[in-house]
Amino acid sequence: MESNKKYWKGLEELQNTKDFVEKNKNEFAESLPMEEVLNEAGLSTVTPRRDFLKALGFGLGAVTLAACQKTPVHKSIPYLVKPEEIVPGIPNYYTSTFNGHSVLVKTREGRPIKIEGNPNCILSRGALDAKGQASVLDLYDVSKLKGPVLNDADVSWAKIDEFVKAELSKVGGKSIRIVSSTVNSPSTKAVIADFIAKYPSAKHVQVDAVSYTGIIKANEASFGKAVLPRYRFDNADVIVSFGADFLGSWISHVEFNTQYASKRNAAALKGGKMSRHIQFEAGMSLTGTNADARIPLKPSEEGIALLNLYAALGGAVSGVKKLTNQKADTAILLAAKELTAAKGRSLVVSGSNDVSVQTVVNAINSLLGSYGSTIDLDNPSYQYTGIDSDFVTLVSEMNSGSVGAVFFLNSNPAYEYADPKAFTEALAKVALRVSFADRKDETASLCQVIAPNHHYLESWGDSNPVEGYYTIAQPTINPVYNTRNAEQGLLIWSDNAVQDYYQYIQNNWSKSVLPQSGISWKELLQKGSVTMAPKTGGAYSSAGNVGAAVAAIVAESNALAKAGDNAVELQVYESTGIGDGKLANNPWLQELPDPVSKVTWDNYVAIGPKYAEQLSIGENDMVTVKTDKYEVTLPVLMQPGQASGTVSIAVGYGRTMAGKAAAEVGKNAYPFMRLVNGTLQGNAAATISKAGGIYELAQTQTHHSIEGRNIVRETTLKDYLKDPNAGTGHRHINHAELWPEYEQPGHSWVMAIDLNACTGCGACIVACNAENNIPVVGRDEVRKRREMHWLRIDRYYTINDSGAKVTKHKEMDDLESMDNVSVIHQPMLCQHCDHAPCETVCPVLATVHSSEGLNQMAYNRCIGTRYCANNCPYKVRRFNWFNYWNDSRFDNYMNNEFTQLVLNPDVTTRSRGVMEKCSMCVQRIQTGKLQAKLDKRTLKDGDIKMACQQTCPTNAIIFGDGNDPNSEVSKALKSERTYYVLEEINTKPGIGYQTKVRNTVEV
Amino acid sequence: MRSISLFFRSVTKSLLLVSFLTAAVSSANAQDAAAGAAIFKQKCTACHAIGKVVVGPDLKGINDRRSEEWLLKWIKNAPALIASGDPDAKEAEKFSPAMMSAFPELTDDDIKGILAYVKAEETKPAAAAAGTEAGAAAEGGSGEISNFMIFGLIAVIIIAFIVIVVLNRVIRTLERVMLEKQGVVVEDEDAVSGDRLAGLKQLSKNKKFILFIVLLVVIALGSAGWMGMWETGVHTGYQPVQPIKFSHQLHAGLNKIDCQYCHTGAFTSKNASIPSLNVCMNCHNYVTASDKYDGKTSPEIQKIYHALDYNETTKQYGKNTKPVEWIRIHNLPDLAYFNHSQHVAVAGIECQKCHGPIQTMEEVYQYSPLTMKWCVNCHKETEVNHKDNPYYDRLIAAHDKLKKGEKVTAAVLGGLECSKCHY
Repeated sequence: MESNKKYWKGLEELQNTKDFVEKNKNEFAESLPMEEVLNEAGLSTVTPRRDFLKALGFGLGAVTLAACQKTPVHKSIPYLVKPEEIVPGIPNYYTSTFNGHSVLVKTREGRPIKIEGNPNCILSRGALDAKGQASVLDLYDVSKLKGPVLNDADVSWAKIDEFVKAELSKVGGKSIRIVSSTVNSPSTKAVIADFIAKYPSAKHVQVDAVSYTGIIKANEASFGKAVLPRYRFDNADVIVSFGADFLGSWISHVEFNTQYASKRNAAALKGGKMSRHIQFEAGMSLTGTNADARIPLKPSEEGIALLNLYAALGGAVSGVKKLTNQKADTAILLAAKELTAAKGRSLVVSGSNDVSVQTVVNAINSLLGSYGSTIDLDNPSYQYTGIDSDFVTLVSEMNSGSVGAVFFLNSNPAYEYADPKAFTEALAKVALRVSFADRKDETASLCQVIAPNHHYLESWGDSNPVEGYYTIAQPTINPVYNTRNAEQGLLIWSDNAVQDYYQYIQNNWSKSVLPQSGISWKELLQKGSVTMAPKTGGAYSSAGNVGAAVAAIVAESNALAKAGDNAVELQVYESTGIGDGKLANNPWLQELPDPVSKVTWDNYVAIGPKYAEQLSIGENDMVTVKTDKYEVTLPVLMQPGQASGTVSIAVGYGRTMAGKAAAEVGKNAYPFMRLVNGTLQGNAAATISKAGGIYELAQTQTHHSIEGRNIVRETTLKDYLKDPNAGTGHRHINHAELWPEYEQPGHSWVMAIDLNACTGCGACIVACNAENNIPVVGRDEVRKRREMHWLRIDRYYTINDSGAKVTKHKEMDDLESMDNVSVIHQPMLCQHCDHAPCETVCPVLATVHSSEGLNQMAYNRCIGTRYCANNCPYKVRRFNWFNYWNDSRFDNYMNNEFTQLVLNPDVTTRSRGVMEKCSMCVQRIQTGKLQAKLDKRTLKDGDIKMACQQTCPTNAIIFGDGNDPNSEVSKALKSERTYYVLEEINTKPGIGYQTKVRNTVEV
Repeated sequence: MRSISLFFRSVTKSLLLVSFLTAAVSSANAQDAAAGAAIFKQKCTACHAIGKVVVGPDLKGINDRRSEEWLLKWIKNAPALIASGDPDAKEAEKFSPAMMSAFPELTDDDIKGILAYVKAEETKPAAAAAGTEAGAAAEGGSGEISNFMIFGLIAVIIIAFIVIVVLNRVIRTLERVMLEKQGVVVEDEDAVSGDRLAGLKQLSKNKKFILFIVLLVVIALGSAGWMGMWETGVHTGYQPVQPIKFSHQLHAGLNKIDCQYCHTGAFTSKNASIPSLNVCMNCHNYVTASDKYDGKTSPEIQKIYHALDYNETTKQYGKNTKPVEWIRIHNLPDLAYFNHSQHVAVAGIECQKCHGPIQTMEEVYQYSPLTMKWCVNCHKETEVNHKDNPYYDRLIAAHDKLKKGEKVTAAVLGGLECSKCHY
């Protein structure tokens, strides 16, 4: 069966706008710098013969002189005393902890160059998200402070200690506050407790930029447990999410990705089963793009919808108004039916931070019997423990002048608090202000003392992200700059008996966790974490007051749904790449296209196309979004699927003092947050108006156009169960051979990508960047379609009109259906075709085929004709327009001696004028083979892992030897769902895709 | 002058001989000392020296410091003596963390011989030092003289040549004057030379000849240019002066130290790696070549100590370290990936195959051109060492099926493909 559904990447492609057609008509889609070279003056100038000869003579002389230079003398400097564990040329791996996930740090000659997931980690199972992959670049960030600062002057640590101690002794009756984002490190907590013991007026205030106070407070009210539960998506057959982006940013998204995929991957489908996922949300989130059914819902309707669901499930509730949104109303009833059918195997989550909304969610899950199966309250998560109201109290305390000293640890309220002005004014009334920020950020610049903290790769540390799971972090490099552990500072300032933080952590572990688990310190360092036997998650029934919640929800709904001209409901959300903005100065993350919008280097106002037309707003128009407390002016992005009457803006952008990469990137959306019933809400009633002007977003979505060829395949679970071949589009292919068959007698490297497992999170892109020294090109170059990513994730929209397939071009113009789209993500990289079109057109044989099935690219042979890129049907070849890693115009990346330390020494940095593309991590293949040869053994399946495969939380990418019939990849490629992209043109790709299966229910 | 230096040498030699003889005679029994010397060199020199602390204490004056009876017991079995609680032994134990080994195989006479030798040696150094100093002075002198003489000789020859030429001319002029006086008309020299050049002038008008010459020049220049271009960036024979005059001839050739003792990475890693100085110190802790430098540590070995801020007398390492900046000889461009372990450990190739007769090199130079052609040729010719390596089993079986009987070279297994070295 062949699908004739139409897929499109962007509205410009769908509508075939003039600009889009024009750009794709050209031989090279990237704009050529012809204008710069042949500008008017350049074309009209006449070169007289004498000038020509002069230039010729000078050129000849210059070249001769330049050639006369002596061959440079290379020095080779060995270690004086070589550390025993280091062998130059061989990487060492150390365990560490990133955001509570145990990770492995790959170091070469003592410098960390890549972060990989630790297979022992119970949360990530060896995977890692984009932020974790990118975090290694921050270690070498030149925007960081080079040493401690006291009143804007560089001083020694001794001076800092002297000053802080003297000031602390002067605090007297006033109180001391330590402000931090969530601290789940047992040792840091103990240090702070010791500090408080020394200074009894001290208190620890935890506040998160994006907080989960609503869930914590609701659980306290419903079950008497003020905790975030551990959600178990791997136990859920039916998942209903109300605006919770649990695959992109919500609580523990890496863990949720692995859990979610376990119910939808090849193994699950083999068993004939697949979870069903229904998403109600305003803006299109990463989670929404993966849902089987996605219903756009305004923020004002979210609470009401939940109450309706509660009622439909049989919960006793009165005073609930009916949803005006007819579609959502029907969907709620359907969802209720499905949830009831899957009682005990279902899960309802909400991304709201409102206590009342979460109370209703608790009541629903309690009715469904989720506690004990899909929600575990006995092994809670400590990933977010901040309480919004604590910080609000602190601001008023500071304002009243009762706070004598304040310390900021991994917290930046001047940027990320809802009311930065109130905070800044209040902070000025505090006598001693100390920040542990690693750079002079928005808050640190208001402090007298900046005591820069180590990067996590430079320091000892630990964490306890979920109950019974402890991880350890160890230094993998000497501090790059003159920094110090924040905990060390607190130990010194509180005259602790143990002044060395390393000693302190060791003592702390040998007191509690080590004796309980029975492993030694060394074993711990080797393994990276300790897992205690989990408690059995009991069933709970909610004691929350839904009746009281109803009034609050209705009131809030009315507040949001204000009538009036240009009135919109604003949703402020956390994006997948940049997150809460702490890693905003990371160029890898800035250049990572947003998984949904594919926008880089900016945030934007997302509006549904139909609604935008009503407001007569066009793509890239500058608009002002205004609430009663704050306004920003940002460009517009047309987001299919965005609920009509709503706009979405991401937080984490608009950092003013984070560094070069984050400067002038988007606007800050945190001040839109409102304090409602003691928690901070990301939704607000707003107005939208045109601000005039156009700002072109650097969006990659249609950069590598496949000219509307049908390359993504999907089917429904129903069809799949009937015929596993459904939707693969297997057709008769003309196998006429123009070239001889390549022999692959030894290995045959192939890859399988399961579109049903891929959630599109983008971790693989950053992993590929780190592994292969892929340069960052910056916003302007992305606008010129010159991004260098070897691996991109194509996101296709398709219209989803109650099963009816839209095929004709005309019908697509109907924007009515634009709110109701479904999405497929397709990782696209070099397909390593056996009959590669790029190879036949290269005039210098720079790209040729290997006997192991790889399409090889020899950079030093390439002369840059770019014929290969032009002839590649998959558009995966990238051209180096500049020496990105050594050009002052690309200053925000690695044009400095520090950041260059992150380069992988096994991979060449490519020079200007050279084509590059996915090499199938050939350095990893060679290393794997060599290791087998050295060990005198056969190569085992799984010995060699691609960087993208290794980091994938859903195991969507499998790589291996196709000549080994027992390898995982051979098994995966034997699946009935396998198809090859553009196999009809007989390129014989080495990468097979498995169709996407949707668990749709025919209405 | 040479005779003067010879005279000096003979005098010092005889002086030395006399001093040796007196030392030998003064010793109670010379026979014992001779036997002791052999045993001392065999068993003791690893840790001891006379007049210098090595690992163990300086043995100078040991006969006076300790009684012979105690020394007998100590040398035979030091650990036992310490265990027995002997106070002197306890004190001696503190000298170094390295315990004195037991030598149960030595008889009392052997030990007495060693002690006699030590005693004999004690008196020697002063005279020996004086002798060598004088010798060094004499050598220095002779060096200067020889240089002076060579230049002098050259000067004499040149002067003689000029004199001959001038004299010749004078004789010819005189002859001409005589002939003129006798009335003989002498032809002008220029005219004669003009005649001589006439042939050449004719040749220069011969177009075929000119063409031939031009062609010859073009071919010569062209081929020189061609060769020169091919040699661009090829640094065969590159032999920079290194910061330490380390001799591979001495270490690898004479002492037969295995290459991998120092270049540990060659078997396991991409880099063969230049040894870190702690590897040098494994031996140069006590190997100081002092016998060649008049009892002092060799200046080249001192460079190691200096880099490590190591104090020879206190045996302490300081903090003022300074890395040794070797000059890299084999510079493979960054775009080519080369892994030593693949070639050394897997393929079993001798180091000399690429690095040349390294065991005879006083100073290392680049032996191979390190060009791609050179790599490729070797890959084409070298058979893959697949014996007892199960990794290759499948590959070989697959190839046997396809190309029966052919030699399985690296190239056959894909060793010429771009991505094997360029990524």
